Amino acid sequence: MSPCGPGSPSIRVSWAATLLLFLGVERALALPEVCIQCPGSVRNLSEVALYCKQTPGLMLYARCCLNQKGTILGLDLQNCSLKDPGPNFPQAHTAIIIDLQANPLKDDLANTFRGFTQLQTLILPQDVNCPGDTNAWNTVTFYTNSKTCQGQRNLCNSTRNTEICPENGSCVPDGPSLFQCVCADGFHGYKCMRQGSFSLLMFSGILGSTTLSISILLWGTQRRKTKASRTT
Amino acid sequence: MAWPSIFQRGTLLSQFSHHHVVVFLLTFFSYSLLHASRKTFSNVKVSISKQWTPSAFNKTLEPVEVWSSNHLFPNAEEATLFLGTLDTIFLFSYAVGLFISGIVGDRLNLRWVLSFGMCSSALVVFVFGTVTEWLHFYNKWLYCCLWIVNGLLQSTGWPCVVAVMGNWFGKTGRGVVFGLWSACASVGNILGACLASSVLQYGYEYAFLVTAAVQFAGGVIIFFGLLVSPEEIGLPGIEAEENFEEDSHRPLITGAENEDEYEPNYSVQEGSAITQVKAISFYQACCLPGVIPYSLAYACLKLVNYSFFFWLPFYLSNNFGWKEAEADKLSIWYDVGGIIGGTLQGFISDVLQKRAPVLALSLLLAIGSLVGYSRSPNDKSINALLMAITGFFIGGPSNMISSAISADLGRQELIQGSSEALATVTGIVDGTGSIGAAVGQYLVSLIQDNLGWMWVFYFFILMTSCTILFISPLIVREICSLMQRQQAHILSE
Repeated sequence: MSPCGPGSPSIRVSWAATLLLFLGVERALALPEVCIQCPGSVRNLSEVALYCKQTPGLMLYARCCLNQKGTILGLDLQNCSLKDPGPNFPQAHTAIIIDLQANPLKDDLANTFRGFTQLQTLILPQDVNCPGDTNAWNTVTFYTNSKTCQGQRNLCNSTRNTEICPENGSCVPDGPSLFQCVCADGFHGYKCMRQGSFSLLMFSGILGSTTLSISILLWGTQRRKTKASRTT
Repeated sequence: MAWPSIFQRGTLLSQFSHHHVVVFLLTFFSYSLLHASRKTFSNVKVSISKQWTPSAFNKTLEPVEVWSSNHLFPNAEEATLFLGTLDTIFLFSYAVGLFISGIVGDRLNLRWVLSFGMCSSALVVFVFGTVTEWLHFYNKWLYCCLWIVNGLLQSTGWPCVVAVMGNWFGKTGRGVVFGLWSACASVGNILGACLASSVLQYGYEYAFLVTAAVQFAGGVIIFFGLLVSPEEIGLPGIEAEENFEEDSHRPLITGAENEDEYEPNYSVQEGSAITQVKAISFYQACCLPGVIPYSLAYACLKLVNYSFFFWLPFYLSNNFGWKEAEADKLSIWYDVGGIIGGTLQGFISDVLQKRAPVLALSLLLAIGSLVGYSRSPNDKSINALLMAITGFFIGGPSNMISSAISADLGRQELIQGSSEALATVTGIVDGTGSIGAAVGQYLVSLIQDNLGWMWVFYFFILMTSCTILFISPLIVREICSLMQRQQAHILSE
């Protein structure tokens, strides 16, 4: 449980930094920019802060709620004057909860959330629709200044979309009302056309030895007796 | 001695040494392998066109690199069109190559040419199908260039194998031996289909890899194992054997009437089998009696024969609504008819010692069978039977012209002594035939689009009639000589 009181953010940041030193330089480099693109920290009493407090092992860092591996689980970007979530936004694809309220967002978020498969709670400004429309969510709740999209539905499981992927493809969710077609078990390659792997070594071994023995056999029985003068 | 070959038949088999068997098998399988790699290409067409195109779904599928990263062609139709173009390109370059490789084959060692042709064509196929896929480098022009080169290299096969077979198997029994032997193309088709389908699941590039590797291995074996002629190991050549045979110094194709066309510069170095034999020129080969009529006849006949190969499955699935895999299987009956026809007609022509009359009769019946086949009811077994009959009368003569008759033409009396004409003549006959076949593929699709399938059959009938027309001078001449022989026989008794 990380403390989450007023006046402590600077302590918390330094704590997180110390932790990251322990975790190594790689993770430090991977420290997501999306957490610091908007100044300030996670608002007190916001949904993200609440979630971070309730779940053990999580800590707040700038605008993010991270687990001990540095993975973003929560992102609070409320009141950041964002017209769009920005280029760093996909870094938060592991997030479970995202708060985007009080931003002048444009209403085309469908592809913004590609890959956000973990997302369970999304808080948006009142006038912005939930990505993938209301069908993609279990519940949509309206408040005076915001809207909450709760519980992603799995598009792949819906009955009307049995033939959603081509041959050998298998549907996996890829964010609200989005899906991916990955290769089904055992298939790989372009359009998942390939199955298994060809044993080049065995093939060339068998072919090579067969060729060698037939060649020697035929040389011995056929060509050995040729007159040198005639083999022009 | 009216039917010398009948009396010799018993001794014929005993004349065959293990060398004969090995030569038969080596040439048989080397051409089978060449044909197998062609068949592979047509069997992996579906996979290739999938590989070259983005996914045909109306929605863009994610991840893009799996479903629609390749854009060589926007859709499968255009890819299929391009693959058809590759077929045509191949046929033309194959036809041109046949003329060249025949000439080359007679001047260099047949074994080297055949072995080089097989190995290098295997490498080209490997680059075409496997290397481009491994590097993910798809380029239309590269594909076209490779396929032209492949056509040229593949064309070394046929003239060389026919020449080698002609060197080993004398004209007694040549018809029946060559008839059996010309099953090599069909066996190659089956072999190619089996090889391709067994590894296609690993990716189409492995279908190419396997056929190319096997073909390369075949080339290596040919290099170490093939004896191009009996003289190579000090056995008497077939001319020497034939000269002992009474009545048989007269070639099968040309009657005694040809002796007035005799030009001394064709037959030189008689009695000096050991001295370096000189190959005849392309022009001289064309001037040999029978070469041009048979070439033109074969152009018409190969057109019909190849149209059957290429279009039969399509016709069956298009006209009767049968499934493509079933239609593919059913069309094997045409091959079966062709093999049986070629062997049986070869046997009859051996007995008669004349080939043209047998051809003419078979082709007349072929016209009848074409009419019959075009009116086939929508029944698979009846259709298969009619198909086998059509194959018997069209595939049979076609096989005979391209193998036994080519060998006769290249080994006729006029060039005895300077016998290195076999490959050149075979190249001319089969090259002209392949041009006919290439033009035919285009014409058939044109006629079928504009006039319908019935007119395609009328076109086949027309072409078969043309075949008879082209060989009619030879028919008349050979029937005359048959009559003369009969009369002489009666008089002598």
